[in-house]
Amino acid sequence: MKILLIEPDKILADIYAYALVESGHTVSWQPDAQQAVLTADKWRPDIVVLELQLAAHNGVEFLYEFRSYPEWQDIPVVVLSAVPDVSLSSVLQSQLGVVAYHYKPRTTLEQLLKTLDGLAISA
Amino acid sequence: MNQIVTTGIVLTRREFGEADRLLTVLTPDHGKVALIAKGVRRPKSKLAGGIELFSVSNITYLQGRGAFSTLISSRLLTHYGQIVKNLERTMLGYDLLKILNKATEDAAGEEYFELLRQTFIGLDNPDLDRRIVELWFYMQLLKLAGHTPNLRKDAAGNPLDASAKYFFDYEAVAFARKENAEYTPHHIKFLRLGFSVPAPAILSQVETALDLLDASLDLIKTILKDHIRI
Repeated sequence: MKILLIEPDKILADIYAYALVESGHTVSWQPDAQQAVLTADKWRPDIVVLELQLAAHNGVEFLYEFRSYPEWQDIPVVVLSAVPDVSLSSVLQSQLGVVAYHYKPRTTLEQLLKTLDGLAISA
Repeated sequence: MNQIVTTGIVLTRREFGEADRLLTVLTPDHGKVALIAKGVRRPKSKLAGGIELFSVSNITYLQGRGAFSTLISSRLLTHYGQIVKNLERTMLGYDLLKILNKATEDAAGEEYFELLRQTFIGLDNPDLDRRIVELWFYMQLLKLAGHTPNLRKDAAGNPLDASAKYFFDYEAVAFARKENAEYTPHHIKFLRLGFSVPAPAILSQVETALDLLDASLDLIKTILKDHIRI
């Protein structure tokens, strides 16, 4: 699966990208929302993994922008964030097509991979 | 074609084709306008800056005969940039845009434009509790739609009593007296003020505002759902 990884922290991004590639995915890492939209336009990802806390435009803005493109309505978004999931209501998560929410401090790489592998199987 | 110059706030944005964008813009003098912004997603687009969300912009468009008019120029007047620096405020901002869009007809008047502008000013102020802005927005929306609850007399038509307690009678859209009920005259005065003030910051000056906020917000949200299609 082609995974667009939106993560502002280079060190964390490297770790996630390494684990994702090791488990057979292709990864494009982008540190901010603007670059992520441009990449999505050219690269057509199958899944987006998103941190909500980004510089300039935050992750919620990215989600609204991303979902405003008719051709990207069905691309699943997995939130992997340092922001607890209570901050993003379940109604809003469903409206914006967030299929899973992982709170970084309580998520192991194994759990993230399990979610992404599950999505890959159901795709 | 008729050229219109006005001020606008973007309510919705949707991508269209390779580089265009469809917008619903709220204006003070032409209601809600459906616009097509051509080429706006190209990197050097001159229109892009003027159609940011959470902003007020000067816009010029050609009134079309079809569903969409064509945006020909835009200039950013005020961008409420603090809103997007906070996730909760950003989410609330998007929610309130969506509610206002659903609750208004195409011919929405200037008062709705002012409501949204004041809401942005409130959300842009990091010192102002976002729930106060939310409460004020809902109250003003109810007021503009003609659904202000009766806050002067109780459901039986008697003047409100400073020492009594009340519950809210949703059928009568008024408070009714009941021992040990949830609402005090402080809540009712707080709501009365909220419906009358022109900006949410004024509401925050009530000393006990934060104590009265949760119950007031729950009540107003319920009234809103009963009376306005959102």
